[in-house]
Amino acid sequence: MTISFKQIEEKLKTEAKRLLESGQVSVVLAYGKGYDEKHPMPYVARNPSDVANIVFNEYCNYNMARYLVRYPAGTKIAVAVKAADSRAVIQLIQEEKVKREDLVLLGIPVYGMKNPKTQEIIDGKTTGGLYNPVLYDILLGDEVHGQAIQLPYDVLAAYESMDKEVRFAFWKKEFDKCIRCYACRKACPMCYCDPCFIDQNKPKWGDKSPKFHGNLMYHLTRFHHLAGRCIDCGECSRACPVDIPLYLFHKKVARECEEMFGQAAGMSIEDKPALVNFRVDDSDKILE
Amino acid sequence: MSFEPKILGIACNWCTYTGADLAGTTRLQYPQNLRVVRVMCSSRINPSFIFRAFQLGADGVLIGGCHPGDCHYNTGNLYARRRLAVTKKILEFSGLEPGRFRVEWISASEGNKFSEVVTEFTAQIKSLGPQTKFKISQ
Ligand code: SF4
Ligand code: SF4
Repeated sequence: MTISFKQIEEKLKTEAKRLLESGQVSVVLAYGKGYDEKHPMPYVARNPSDVANIVFNEYCNYNMARYLVRYPAGTKIAVAVKAADSRAVIQLIQEEKVKREDLVLLGIPVYGMKNPKTQEIIDGKTTGGLYNPVLYDILLGDEVHGQAIQLPYDVLAAYESMDKEVRFAFWKKEFDKCIRCYACRKACPMCYCDPCFIDQNKPKWGDKSPKFHGNLMYHLTRFHHLAGRCIDCGECSRACPVDIPLYLFHKKVARECEEMFGQAAGMSIEDKPALVNFRVDDSDKILE
Repeated sequence: MSFEPKILGIACNWCTYTGADLAGTTRLQYPQNLRVVRVMCSSRINPSFIFRAFQLGADGVLIGGCHPGDCHYNTGNLYARRRLAVTKKILEFSGLEPGRFRVEWISASEGNKFSEVVTEFTAQIKSLGPQTKFKISQ
């Protein structure tokens, strides 16, 4: 089975047009042309005539759920969601940032998405091993079946078995590269706090200049704030101009949360986020 | 000179801090490496406190709260348990020695347990040596 990106694009346009014309939604979040084929852009269609600008190809990695929180409550929004993006929407619903009834989810079942920087296929590294959206109203294409699934945590093995000294050296080298552009935070659908803890001055949680210790504080706390919430879209790592593999750390935390609390982020709108919940019989073993 | 570690203790007002008081009034001996900060509940502890303590030179961090089920605010420590478990995993994956961070449930009547835990934890941190990974070098 192969994916026809053109076909998805056509369906996306048809649905977007229909939804805007009928007035069912006032905004459609999808993808639009960038300066070349490899660099499509997040695109907001507000009028039926905007729909002609919508594109979809293998480089449309952006998680459009990122933009949902920017609209006032009650805005009717249609949003194009791939597998991981749909989990982001579910997570936002759990966190009461958006309401299910305000959204029309245009599900895109797809595999073989590529990172425009490296040309590598992103499926195995991020997106949680899923190809079909978890939640959608309209599916634009056939569900993906029979595509080899790489388990979401496979890429972690090499890092988990590392000696702690080696692992510290690895992260130190990575965090030392960080230039504190905050693209990771901007790209992340779950980073919606205003102000972000790192921008606060009283208390000042960490140094703001791009030096190791401030970087460490920023990243460790960000990993913590995304614990049980990160849905493994991988956008943070792809947005990073210096290619820090943030997704590895997020995945590790996600794995631990799944093992400890028995729930993966963004899989059901009935769940409560793991860290604002508890069970009386949570084991003390998790603290060991 | 032998290595005297700096250990940050964060204790909840209702159980562990009162337990520490009891250890004091009953004249139990324990190492003086622990500096205790009192918070109203173990769920008041922002994980960034812990990262920051390591950056500012703590060699170990010990958290104390009420036993699950005994929280003064009913459920605070149940949230804290989940949160601090994640903190522990993050510290571990970043490469810090796992033994430098510990959470213990110590009730107001457990002065003995308090002094035992502090003695044991201090010995453990002594054997791990100074913490240099997170510490901000001057
Ligand atoms: S932390 Fe990264 S992978 Fe996780 S939801 Fe945010 S952008 Fe996606
Ligand atoms: S995107 Fe990369 S360089 Fe920019 S703040 Fe995030 S980790 Fe640092």
